[in-house]
Amino acid sequence: MSTLQGYIDRRVLLVLQDGRTIVGVLSGFDQRSDIILSQCKERIYSMDDPVEEVPLGLYLVKGDQILLIGEMDEAQDNAVDLSTIRADPIAPIRY
Amino acid sequence: MLIFSLFKTLTDQTVTVELKNDLSITGVLKSVDQFLNIRLDNIKVLDEARHPHMMAVKNCFIRGSVVRYVQLPAQHVDTQLLEDATRREAANQAKR
Amino acid sequence: MNGDSEGIQEPFDLIRLSLNERVFVKLRGDRELVGVLHAYDGHMNLILSEVEETIMLVDVEGESIPASQRRINVAKRKMEMLFVRGDGVILVSPPSRA
Repeated sequence: MSTLQGYIDRRVLLVLQDGRTIVGVLSGFDQRSDIILSQCKERIYSMDDPVEEVPLGLYLVKGDQILLIGEMDEAQDNAVDLSTIRADPIAPIRY
Repeated sequence: MLIFSLFKTLTDQTVTVELKNDLSITGVLKSVDQFLNIRLDNIKVLDEARHPHMMAVKNCFIRGSVVRYVQLPAQHVDTQLLEDATRREAANQAKR
Repeated sequence: MNGDSEGIQEPFDLIRLSLNERVFVKLRGDRELVGVLHAYDGHMNLILSEVEETIMLVDVEGESIPASQRRINVAKRKMEMLFVRGDGVILVSPPSRA
């Protein structure tokens, strides 16, 4: 699968099927889009509280749990003050 | 295979992908694979105010299995060609 | 089996004979589509044009009211050309010949 190749060693945003969001560095992937993410941090969104970042470390995520992987513009991400952001979490996928 | 081929002909066109959680993402189609996983460039999330999660994301990989619809540019889809190809593929399927 | 015959031997033949015709599609999540069918595959992935989508939404506020009496809101929208992923498709119905 050629489509994830360009994201290797880049900081990415991973959105899981249940709506959770994790930022990390993409270290590897395979045919089934299983991925290895290093320096993971979960970003927990809430309407009532600022965004909370929870360090998770090194993760292997199964491809079938993935909703989306996005390449982060690091400069733009650093410019955002997460403590000012209030939002509902991303809705989970419903089949 | 047929629909994979159609998506390949739409590379570099703007499409809107609607996911099974109602999130809609518009962007330029950069690539697609056999699972219909999709790479989009220059993305814009519909209703950005409610979805700040992807503010710093410029391009993304969407897993095919979470897609509900893809809105396509009608002027770049040859419907006659598609129907002929679909009939051909159906005939091949029947022979097996 | 002759793939070119007009007869219907298996379910997919019904869909094949609906190519370039307006079809009705029922989807998961209380959604329905009406549109012109241009392509399909074995997963029931579809390509439709001139699509009108209808989404049925049941009012959540009236939870004390019996489900049968709750108001159903209908949202409609139109799309020019649409790929529909097959895993959401419940049924495809050919145009009525009435």
